[in-house]
Amino acid sequence: MSGTPADRLSRREALRQGSAATLAAARALAPALFAGCSLGIPPRAKTVNVGLLHSQTGTMAMSATSLRDIELHAFEQINAAGGILGRQVVPRAPDPRSKVDLFPKRARQLIDDGSVAVFGCWTSAARKAVLPIFEEAKKLLLYSVQYEGNESSPYVVYGGMVPNQQILPALDWLASVAGGLRKKVFLVGSDFVFPRTANYIAKKYLATKEMRPVGEAYVPLGDRDFSGVVKEILASGADCVLSTVNGDSNIGLFAALAEAEVDPAKIPVMTTSIAEDELRFLMPEQVAGHYAAACYFQGVDTPANRMWVDGFRKEFGYDRVTGDPMEPDWCLVHLWKKAVEKAGSFETEAVRQAFRDGLEFAGPGGPVRLDPKTQHTSKFFRLGRIRTDQQFDIVHSSPEPIIADPYPALAFPGWSVDWTKNGITRGAEVDIDGDV
Amino acid sequence: MNLFDPKSWYWLYDVPPFRLSLLFVTAFVGFYWVGSIVVRPILRQFVKYTPGSNDIVGYVLSCFCVFYGLLLGLIAVTAYQNVAEAGANVTREASALSALYEDVSRYPQPYSQNLRWLLRDYTRYVIKYAWPLQQQGIVPEEGTIRIHAFHDQLLDFQPKTPSQEIIHAEALRELNELLAARQMRLFSVKASLPGSMWFVMIVGAILNIAICWLFDMRFLTQLMLGGILAAYLGIMMHLIFDMNQPFRGDVSISAEPFEALYKRIEEQ
Repeated sequence: MSGTPADRLSRREALRQGSAATLAAARALAPALFAGCSLGIPPRAKTVNVGLLHSQTGTMAMSATSLRDIELHAFEQINAAGGILGRQVVPRAPDPRSKVDLFPKRARQLIDDGSVAVFGCWTSAARKAVLPIFEEAKKLLLYSVQYEGNESSPYVVYGGMVPNQQILPALDWLASVAGGLRKKVFLVGSDFVFPRTANYIAKKYLATKEMRPVGEAYVPLGDRDFSGVVKEILASGADCVLSTVNGDSNIGLFAALAEAEVDPAKIPVMTTSIAEDELRFLMPEQVAGHYAAACYFQGVDTPANRMWVDGFRKEFGYDRVTGDPMEPDWCLVHLWKKAVEKAGSFETEAVRQAFRDGLEFAGPGGPVRLDPKTQHTSKFFRLGRIRTDQQFDIVHSSPEPIIADPYPALAFPGWSVDWTKNGITRGAEVDIDGDV
Repeated sequence: MNLFDPKSWYWLYDVPPFRLSLLFVTAFVGFYWVGSIVVRPILRQFVKYTPGSNDIVGYVLSCFCVFYGLLLGLIAVTAYQNVAEAGANVTREASALSALYEDVSRYPQPYSQNLRWLLRDYTRYVIKYAWPLQQQGIVPEEGTIRIHAFHDQLLDFQPKTPSQEIIHAEALRELNELLAARQMRLFSVKASLPGSMWFVMIVGAILNIAICWLFDMRFLTQLMLGGILAAYLGIMMHLIFDMNQPFRGDVSISAEPFEALYKRIEEQ
C-alpha cells in the first residue's frame, strides 16, 4: 500500500463515509429509478377470460368465422374503453372444426381455462351437445344464431331469431300479394335438429293458411349434391321453396337450382341461413333473385348501422361484410356487458339476476330488448332479395320488433317458459320426427 | 422460486431497459463493494505475506480475463445470432405471406376474395394477438387454426386451366414456405441460452470479482477500480440477458414486417 498512515484515510473512516454516501445516493435516486417496489414494471391489467366457440374450419367455417370476428371486434372496442369492471377481456377461441362431437370438449376446455361466459355455436346440434356442460358448470352460453325454438335453459341467452320472428313472417310474406300469392311450399333443409323442427312448425303454420307443403327433403350437413332434391322440387309443382339448408351445402343447392334453370321469379327460394357473409361463397348469378329472411341486412339505412359497418370494415378489411347473425351477436356481447356491469360481478347467478330487469341495447339494426322471461331477444323481421353484388334489397320490414316465442302454441300446445317465475311449463310431448 | 431456473428471472424483461441496465450494474457493483468489506479481509489472508502478491494476482486476473472474455464474447455472439436468425425467420414468414397473398389474388372469384380475407385475418392475428403473447414468452396457438382454415380453402380450389394450375402450385409452395417459417418463429419464442451457460457465466463473474479482492491497494482505489470492472461485467450480462429471448426485452424482434404487409394489403 502506498502513502503514509497520516495522509491515508482510515479503513473505518472510509467505510463510514462510503456507506453514508451510498445510502444518500440510493435514497435520492431510488424513487426516480425504481418507482415503488415495481422497478418501473408497468402494472399488468387485470383480465377476465371469455370463450368464443365457433367453427373456424370445416363446413360451418364460412358462416361461423364472422361471429368470431365480430366478437373480437366488440371486445377490442370494450378493452380500448377500459374493459368491463376494470378488467381487460381476453377472448379465447379454440376451433371445434364443425364437428358436433368436438364442441363439448372445447366447451369444457374453455370453462376449465376460466372463461366466465362463452359466446358460441351455430348449429342447434352443436348447441344441444354443449348444453349439459354449461348447465352442470353453471356458466352462461350466449347463442346468437336463429334457431328452431322448443328449448329453454337458464344458462343460455338466445340472441337469434326463433320461427315466430323469422320463418312464419316469411311464409306470410310469400302468401301476400307482394310475395306473389304463393300456395305450394317445398321444404328443404340440412339433416339436423333446426331444419326438422323449423319445418315441423312451418307445416303446422301452413295448415292455418291457404298454403300447403308439397314436399320435404333433407340432405346431410356438408353434402353438396342437390340434383335429386331439385328434381323433387320440380316434380312437386312447388311455387316456392323454404330452405333451412346450412353452411356450404348452400353452394350445392343453388348450383343445382341454376343448372336446372329454376327461375327465381317463378320458384323463389326463401332461405333462413344465408346472409351477406355466405353470399361471398356463392356464385352471384346462381343466387340473385332469391330471398333471405333475417333480422338484419348490411343495407339497413340508418346512421348507427353505417357507423357500425364502417368500424368493422376499417378493422377487418373493406371487402368484409356484415349480416345476420353478426348484428345479433354484437348486441349479445353488449347486453352481456350491461348485465355484468349492472351485477358488478362476472358470476353467472349475479349476471342472470341482472337480466331480470329486461336489458336494452341500441343495436345497429335497431333497439334490442332481452326478455327476462324467455332469455330471448326481440327482433325486427326483414326480408331481402339477393342482388348480383352479394348484397340484399330489403323488400319488407316489420313495423316494430317482434317478441320471441320459443314455444309457438300451434306447434307446442301447453308449453311456455318464464325464468322470472317457475321456469318451463310443460305441455303434451311433441314427436317432431314422427311427424316428418 | 427456483433461483437456478433461468425462467425464474424472466420477470426482469418487464423492467424498462434503462432501469434494467442500472439494476444489473447496481447488483454487480454492490456485490463487489459488499464483498470488499466482508470477504476481502478474509481472502487477503492467503496472499498477505507473499512478496509481489499484486503481480501474481494481476497475472492470474489477466489469464482469467482472457478466458472469461472469450466466453462472454462467444456467448454474446451466439445470443445475437439467435435473435438475428429469429428476425430473419420473421421476415421470411412475412415475405412468404406477401407472395401468397399476391398468388391467391390471381384466383377466380369467390376463391380469391375468401383466400385473401383469410390471409389478412392471419396477419391481423399475428400483429394483434400473437406478438403480445410472444413478448410474454407464450407460444400463440390460435394462428394455427387460421392457417388450417386457409389451407382448407386453398385445397378446395380445383384449377381448370394450365395457368391456374401453375398459380395453384406456386401458392402451395409459398404456403409450405410460410408454414416452415412460422414453425421456426414459434420455436424461437421459447429459445434461450441453457441454464448451464448462465451458471458458467455467473460463476466466472464471481471469480473475476473475487480475484480483484486479492489486490493489495488503498481501500478507496480498490472500490473504484473493482467497481468499474464490476459495472462493465453488469453491462455485459445485461446485454446477453437482453438477447437471451428473441421476442423479449429491449433487443427483440418487432412485428414490423407483418405490420408493413398488413398496411399494404389494407391499402389495396
